[in-house]
Amino acid sequence: MKWRYAYFPGCSAKGTCRELDLSTHAVAALFDVELEELENPGCTGAREFRAVSEQLHLTANGRILALAEREGCDLVAVCDTCLLNLTETNRRLKADRAARDAVNRALASEGLAFKGEREVKHFLWVMTEDLGEERLKERVVRPLRGLKVAPFYGCHIQRPSTVYGAGAAGEAPALDRLCRLLGGEVVEYPGASKCCGFHVVSVEERIAVRMSGGHLSNAKSNGAQCIVTPCPLCHTVFDAYQPSIEREFRSKYEVPVLHVSQLAGLAFGLSAAAVALSRHVVGCESVLAHIGYGAAQAAASVR
Amino acid sequence: MSPSSKQTTEPDNIRVRIYRFDPETDREPRYESYEVPRTPRMRIMDVLDYIHEIKEVDFGYRWLCGTKKCGTCAVNVNGSPKLACWEEAEQEMTIEPLSNLPLVRDLVTSRDPFEAFLAKLSPLLVRRRDYPGFPEPLSEQIMAPTVHLRDCIQCLACQSACPVLQQPDSGFAGPALLVALSELAQDPRDEADRARLADEVAQVFKCVSCYECERVCPTEIPIVSEAIQPLKRLVYRRGEAAAARRAHAFLDVVKARGRAEAAPIALKTKGISLNALRLALRLMRRGKLSLVDVFPKRPSPGMEAMRKTYQSDGDAK
Repeated sequence: MKWRYAYFPGCSAKGTCRELDLSTHAVAALFDVELEELENPGCTGAREFRAVSEQLHLTANGRILALAEREGCDLVAVCDTCLLNLTETNRRLKADRAARDAVNRALASEGLAFKGEREVKHFLWVMTEDLGEERLKERVVRPLRGLKVAPFYGCHIQRPSTVYGAGAAGEAPALDRLCRLLGGEVVEYPGASKCCGFHVVSVEERIAVRMSGGHLSNAKSNGAQCIVTPCPLCHTVFDAYQPSIEREFRSKYEVPVLHVSQLAGLAFGLSAAAVALSRHVVGCESVLAHIGYGAAQAAASVR
Repeated sequence: MSPSSKQTTEPDNIRVRIYRFDPETDREPRYESYEVPRTPRMRIMDVLDYIHEIKEVDFGYRWLCGTKKCGTCAVNVNGSPKLACWEEAEQEMTIEPLSNLPLVRDLVTSRDPFEAFLAKLSPLLVRRRDYPGFPEPLSEQIMAPTVHLRDCIQCLACQSACPVLQQPDSGFAGPALLVALSELAQDPRDEADRARLADEVAQVFKCVSCYECERVCPTEIPIVSEAIQPLKRLVYRRGEAAAARRAHAFLDVVKARGRAEAAPIALKTKGISLNALRLALRLMRRGKLSLVDVFPKRPSPGMEAMRKTYQSDGDAK
């Protein structure tokens, strides 16, 4: 069976988190999942376009959705904030005719049109829902051996409830189930569904560092050997800013932070190089050692 | 009466732990446990009343109307703020005072800092020009954008759930105050400089957009999209604020480079600082950032088309 999606990597996965883009492609290739990367898709605007104008926010996101519709397939994102912008816009433009017409007037010069024919998904859901947990389980060749994984979902894959519904809390979230089926042990800690603070990092770094530092220290004291997240923005705060967190809290944490596609890729037998594990600020040697790499081999794989 | 000694153990009883602390007499907080027989459609408030009236426990909790109007009875139930008069009692509850507010005692928090901050936001319509007097005809057009905001009962559940307010001295007003400010800011009759208040006093750009406030709001106000975003747009239109400069820089970089690249946005917004250099070096060492990222990029035809589409909406203003 073959799956085909329009793929919007987003700015992080093409910039400071290229390892997310690389590992997503690597995992997709294992399952005959075809990701058609959109050309010149622009940006969903993070939280910034909304602060400029509502119309720009709708046009920029409507444009990406229209590009996906032109490919004739559903749209896949790998960033929580992109996912929310696109999902919200998709709903809005499907339901609100005036907004749709305004966006389509802007898109007309490029010969694009939003028709409202497609859905938006996170690559995590492509794995757990479209491929399905059975198929994923069959592919696990290097189980995580009880690696203690602290899931960090990020806000924009679960809130607001007007977009995602309020009922998601009852069921174990997709990320928890995925970690378990990969052979990992899910660490319970109070921060999993909280905010990393990314969207305030450029306004006042200290607030973000203190917010994420609290979650990191909770995860660590509950035994986490690594954090895994479906969002590159959360990844950036926990990984790239971890030295700043350690300075602020005057503690050493050294908790590796993996993208979902990296953790899954390792369990599916991909090499550390194939999931670009060397591109982290906090080294991932300890994760590799736990899942059966020799110490020297682990160290060599992430340098 | 000793809280845990005489307890019936009916399987259907509600088990409650209540936070007890009087800063004037107690050295540290403690929790007292009670069992309360469940009655049909029992609210959290009914459980508190039962412990107070039937079990005759003298503890502090607050309520007034009992009908989701006065906003005085919000407490944390199992870690999440809830309106005691309105939410059904859960089988097991740990009931604590709201977070991010000073404690008076037990479940009662002080509203003083909230009221004081509200006073700084000029919380009434400011009108300098003559207006027709009362009754003043109000059109639907005037009231429509703020119709949900006027559902706010200032129960402060959102202030309790806000992770930014959890940080000491954040300077951030928090969601409930931003709802109050936004209601006035979006009222065309108002003539106060709400953009300045939003930026400098309420510090609206410190909102992390986590939507925790919307999750806990008992009146289901779309706080982020209908209160906070309009305030940010107001600040952006005024143009002077640092945060507005960032949104501007973000858009410029997307238009010039095809996507939001961290380094040029940071350079445009903040310039070079020791802290930024330290971060940049950290990222470069691991291949997460390269010098190429700050040099100008030659636009491709596709990027040019994207830029035109963005501009067709008059994005800059």
